[in-house]
Amino acid sequence: MAHAFVSGSDRPEKTVIRAGFMPLTDCAPLVMASVLGLDDKYGIKLDLCRQHSWSGMRDRLLQGEIDVAHVLYGMLYGVENGIGGVTRRMAVLMNLSRNGQSITLSRALARQGIADLPQLAAAVRKGARRFAFAHTFPTGNHAMFLYYWLAAGGIDPLRDVQAVTVPPSQMAVNLAAGHMDGFCAGEPWSTRALLDGSGFTAATSQDIWPDHPGKALGATAAFVDANPHACRSLIAAVLEAARWLDAAGENRDAAAEVLSSPGYVNADRHAIAARLHGEYENGLGRRWIDPDPVRFHSDGEANFPYLSDGMWFMTQHRRWGLLRDDVDYAAVAARVNRVGLYREAAVLAGVPAPSSLTRRSVLMDGKVWDGSAPAAYAAAFPIRRVALAGA
Amino acid sequence: MKPPSKVQRTLRIVVVTTVPEHVTDESARATQARRNTALRIGLLESGYDIVASLPADIFLPERIAQIQPDMIIIDSESDARDVLEHIVIATRDEPRPIVLFTDDQTPSSMDAAIDAGVTAYIVDGLQAERVKPVLDVALKRFRREQKLLDELSDTRRQLADRKLIERAKGVLMARNKLTEEEAYQRLRTMAMNKKLRLAEVAQRILDVEDLLG
Repeated sequence: MAHAFVSGSDRPEKTVIRAGFMPLTDCAPLVMASVLGLDDKYGIKLDLCRQHSWSGMRDRLLQGEIDVAHVLYGMLYGVENGIGGVTRRMAVLMNLSRNGQSITLSRALARQGIADLPQLAAAVRKGARRFAFAHTFPTGNHAMFLYYWLAAGGIDPLRDVQAVTVPPSQMAVNLAAGHMDGFCAGEPWSTRALLDGSGFTAATSQDIWPDHPGKALGATAAFVDANPHACRSLIAAVLEAARWLDAAGENRDAAAEVLSSPGYVNADRHAIAARLHGEYENGLGRRWIDPDPVRFHSDGEANFPYLSDGMWFMTQHRRWGLLRDDVDYAAVAARVNRVGLYREAAVLAGVPAPSSLTRRSVLMDGKVWDGSAPAAYAAAFPIRRVALAGA
Repeated sequence: MKPPSKVQRTLRIVVVTTVPEHVTDESARATQARRNTALRIGLLESGYDIVASLPADIFLPERIAQIQPDMIIIDSESDARDVLEHIVIATRDEPRPIVLFTDDQTPSSMDAAIDAGVTAYIVDGLQAERVKPVLDVALKRFRREQKLLDELSDTRRQLADRKLIERAKGVLMARNKLTEEEAYQRLRTMAMNKKLRLAEVAQRILDVEDLLG
């Protein structure tokens, strides 16, 4: 019975919800919620708006040209805390996916015998030249995972190498031209670099942190406060799409077909499908089925807006000096991540929700992150930005 | 005490000129390129000092650091905007840090700028009244070219919609054994019932076709 629970006092405040998305494979739950008509089921209509830069996505969200967005979890918290000049109260409605990003290094490095982190660290230490690595946005997920990976190998990402932001569409060509040595980005960009021969996969994001948080479904706090029913319906619709994606390989194949079209990711289906199934090759002859491929749902576990996920990004912002002082990490996460609204939506969609607000993870360097003592966690890394005098 | 400086030197402006990557159509790229040129001419005619027109490549941050412009103008749709965001954060501790022009006292200027498709990054402390006239020139030029771009994009959209509708008719004819006229009527009925455009209904039919394989 569609619409039974979205009449009367629960009726969405607005029916058309403009949703920004980037042409990345992990926009799948949002796009498929529309394609499968799940928005209709919950009394809303998704108006998908493709964006071309994360800053453009942010500006449109803040100006109200779009209502919700497929965003970098880290960027959203950057705006909440005013990193880079723009400050606004934001909201995370749910997490859209886990895993599935990659660190790609250039073929030229492989030819020099550099195929993994220890070999890279040795080459950087030799100091013959300055290595350069790219990510997608200064406060975003890919920057934080890249820095974490480099630092875990003993490389200071701020001092030992050059770290730059490059639009994903330029990453492979810059690798091939020798202007940079590696990049961290999502799909299909990492696979494309593999297929065109410019790079190889040196590490996956799940190597760095198995089941890390990915893109969030975000909005301004003002929008969520003014439209809680619409947001609840939206979360429920996207939850169902996420569940559908994880449920069967054929569903992911179908999604790859839909996403390949010019209106969405605009990439060859082959560049999208393999890693959706966890089928990996690294470009140097290694093929494997990954135990932690991209996951969109994991029976609700992947979508829950854990406070510890939001807090992790803030600790890394602090670690690298993007945040100049500690914030009240727990309080900020508690107001940004809309756990209550998510739980109501999960009930609507018949999705189980964990009772804990935090979860425990062990990252690649053995460090445990469980949401406790965030300031101490941020300060304890041996490689971090040393505070400027008076800063 | 230093005497107040009487001469306000000309603003040094950098225009970032790459045509957005997602613009693949040849004539649309040409129009975009024309838009960039018109902007530069407009600024020069108004007496502004365009120190450089830079492509949005990996050397952009380095070049900007060397040039130290007062203002950077870029197309709002460019995917290279994220490169500039990085510069904003990286330069915030330096003597002349660059910020996005989001002066809270002039939100309507910012809205107008983004509507017209131009984003401006300026040095912190540059007075709004110095920035405004430059933005006005940029907006006027961008708006004029935007009108052309919109017309072009409407035409292309109509063509793309027609193709979608044709394909969807083909799918309905094959799957449901309909004539072309019946298939078209089916699309029209769905569009009316769901309050969607014909092309949107067509896209949904094609998406389902992709799903069912």
